[in-house]
Amino acid sequence: MSGDIITVKHLHFRYNSIEVLSDISFGIQAGDYIGIVGPNGSGKTTLIRLILGLNTPANSTVSIFGKSPAAFTEWYRIGYLPQKLSFLNPYFPATVHEVVSLGLFSKKKFPRRLQKSDQMKIDEALRLMDITDIKNTLIGELSGGQQQRVLVARALVNEPELLILDEPTTAIDPEARDHFYHTLQDLNLRKNVTIILVTHDSATIGKYASKLLYIDKKVIFFGSFDDFCTSEHMTTYFGEFAQHLICHRHD
Amino acid sequence: MKGKQSLIVLICMLLAFVLVSCSQNPQQERGEKKVRVVASLFPLYDFARQVGKEKAEVVLLIPPGAEPHSFEPRPGDILKIHEADIFLFTGKAMEPWIEEILKGINGQTPIVVDSGKGIITAGEGSAGHEHGNDDPHIWLDFSNAEKMVDAILDGFVRAGPSNREFYIKNAEAYKQQLQSLDKKYYNSLATCNKRILIHGGHFAFGYLARRYNLQYLTAYQGYAPNAEPTPQNLIELMKKLRSNSLRFVFYEELVMPRLAETIARETGAGLLMLNGAHNVTQEELEKGVTFISLMEQNLENLKRGLECQGI
Amino acid sequence: MTDMDILSALQYAFVKRAIIAGSFIAIVCSLIGVLLVLRRLSLIGDGLAHVTFGSVAVGLLLRQHPLSVAIPIVIVSSIGILKLMKKAKIYGDAAIGIVSSLGIAVGILVASVSGGFNIDLFSFLFGNILSITDTEVYTSIGLSAVVLFMIVFFYNEHLSAAFDEEFARVSGIRTERINMILVMLTGITVVLTMKVVGIMLTSSLLILPAVTALQFSRSFKGTMVISACAAVTSVITGIALSFLLNLPTGATIVLINFMFFAGAFLYRHMTQRGLH
Repeated sequence: MSGDIITVKHLHFRYNSIEVLSDISFGIQAGDYIGIVGPNGSGKTTLIRLILGLNTPANSTVSIFGKSPAAFTEWYRIGYLPQKLSFLNPYFPATVHEVVSLGLFSKKKFPRRLQKSDQMKIDEALRLMDITDIKNTLIGELSGGQQQRVLVARALVNEPELLILDEPTTAIDPEARDHFYHTLQDLNLRKNVTIILVTHDSATIGKYASKLLYIDKKVIFFGSFDDFCTSEHMTTYFGEFAQHLICHRHD
Repeated sequence: MKGKQSLIVLICMLLAFVLVSCSQNPQQERGEKKVRVVASLFPLYDFARQVGKEKAEVVLLIPPGAEPHSFEPRPGDILKIHEADIFLFTGKAMEPWIEEILKGINGQTPIVVDSGKGIITAGEGSAGHEHGNDDPHIWLDFSNAEKMVDAILDGFVRAGPSNREFYIKNAEAYKQQLQSLDKKYYNSLATCNKRILIHGGHFAFGYLARRYNLQYLTAYQGYAPNAEPTPQNLIELMKKLRSNSLRFVFYEELVMPRLAETIARETGAGLLMLNGAHNVTQEELEKGVTFISLMEQNLENLKRGLECQGI
Repeated sequence: MTDMDILSALQYAFVKRAIIAGSFIAIVCSLIGVLLVLRRLSLIGDGLAHVTFGSVAVGLLLRQHPLSVAIPIVIVSSIGILKLMKKAKIYGDAAIGIVSSLGIAVGILVASVSGGFNIDLFSFLFGNILSITDTEVYTSIGLSAVVLFMIVFFYNEHLSAAFDEEFARVSGIRTERINMILVMLTGITVVLTMKVVGIMLTSSLLILPAVTALQFSRSFKGTMVISACAAVTSVITGIALSFLLNLPTGATIVLINFMFFAGAFLYRHMTQRGLH
């Protein structure tokens, strides 16, 4: 569809001769707030990595903003939060401020230097994630939840059109979680930021996301939340109780 | 098929024959077998050549260009030693790896010659440097060299008593050469304007300096070139050079003459080589240098460096 | 003679060269060192030194100027280490080990096959801070200019790639290129620095100042600055102290570096009691 900013068509991906993703097809439009859910090992993170070009599928069936990931160059339009597991070294001697500023370099060309105007963007991102008071603290000295907020700020700081967040709330406690989802919803509604959020937390995501992509190596479901909750096919697949659990919150 | 099989057998036999005959010692065809000598250091290698002449096949254990103080023998080297008739080494100070090898040698061969045995080693340099261990560079005092030739002669005689007269004659002739070398040194170095040797290398020429009454100062405190000099040490040498108006600094063989160059650069002095004859370069080996030829070159350099009027 | 003062030592050109070249080398090694230590490539200095040994042997065998053979081979090897890490899916230390043992083996083989050289290999490879020539001073300054340029102008790329390589890729930074720049710079630095001040100083300046800085730095920029300062200070005080106490200079510098590290470590533990 022409309004799609991300298109995935018949995506297959094998890893060590195991088929991780099989015949995935869907399209994401500008302004969508979509939750990608599924059980552990279902290929959600792999899907994100394929969309971003960190891995290459056998056939080029992914397009972002109309281009394949390999040919795409306007990375400043995307803000990315990788899965916390990929955060390597907790002893890395960088301050919160330095880490967040890394999100700005997608828009710059060589030599990538911070300007005065960037300061404001950084401050805003810090404020949004409520980490202004710790901006000069080393990232290794923060709690898990604070670290995650820093990485989200890094994804947001460049005011991207598209936010891709992979498991952003695993370390954040339930109260903070709600606030976090609210912030995202605000961005989505006020600034039309497209949000792709991979999560385990299928219950909470239902409250905020407008669309759901359920993956378990294949697309189990893709569509709006309402459709998910009224679909008999889904009732059969999940069982009434599980479906109810996900949908119950969505009112 | 039978035809093919016998062809293969024939080829195998031919191959075996070729291999066996190639590994034969070619000397065996000539009748008398040469005495196989393995020497651990160049002077011993040369002395052995001079004593054994065409009746000996002498091999130098250290590869050309290698610095011997940090040499460690490989399995092939140990094999060479075991297969030799005579094995010559300088002394346990010069070749610390000898201990282990000696343990592995039991039986009659090879005949092991500790060429430095009985030679009194000095603990002090002539400049008053206090060295804890003994100076292993005994061959640079030519009277010691003569004693080493005697020890090597003894080894040859034990290995081949039938050629006793031959070896004795060669040894005597060579010792004469060493004696005239010594005399030459003595005469040439008796009347020099300068009597201080500044050496940008390790403490190798202690015996030589003492024998000809020269003061000897080195950049390194140790007996091997792998130590590190101290700034004060270098400055001392530079000061000595200046205060004695010396025009040359000496450098040693085989290693990069960095420190000598530093001293030279700082003082405007020239550079001259003093070859300790531990080992030779690939080029020198090919050219066929001898211990005496190296020492004669040294004497020329000494005469120039110390401004001697002698012949 | 033992009560000479430091100022009189400065009148000697070789002391001045030691200070100048030593300081530039200290800056180069300590800055690269921060990036290497954070990426767990700290032993790449030692590893590439072994490769240099092998390639110099090859150079001498081919009767070419050894460095003209060594530098390309070292650069190729450093890239090889990167490729090994990626394709063989091993960590940096194993990749370094593989390339390093290959280098030494080649060197020993070539040394045996060639029958010998005209100069002792090790003496050729390893310089000494007290015997630096004018050419080597210029080389050190030139090398510093190149390395500083590559680090300062690619500072944020280096930081992003070292912190989170995948995020860096997704922000359009060509991480493959940055990684290659880092290891190639390391290769050239190791070869040239070894020849000027020897392997002991090279390895220790690549690791110790960085690790010292990591003990108590409060930001990435701070880490780079502290590392460089610690390195330069260690060189200058090392030269001064070795002079005053009549000690070998290189070893003194290494010891001072270690003392800095020990001090930083103790400081951190004393001020952070109860926090972890």
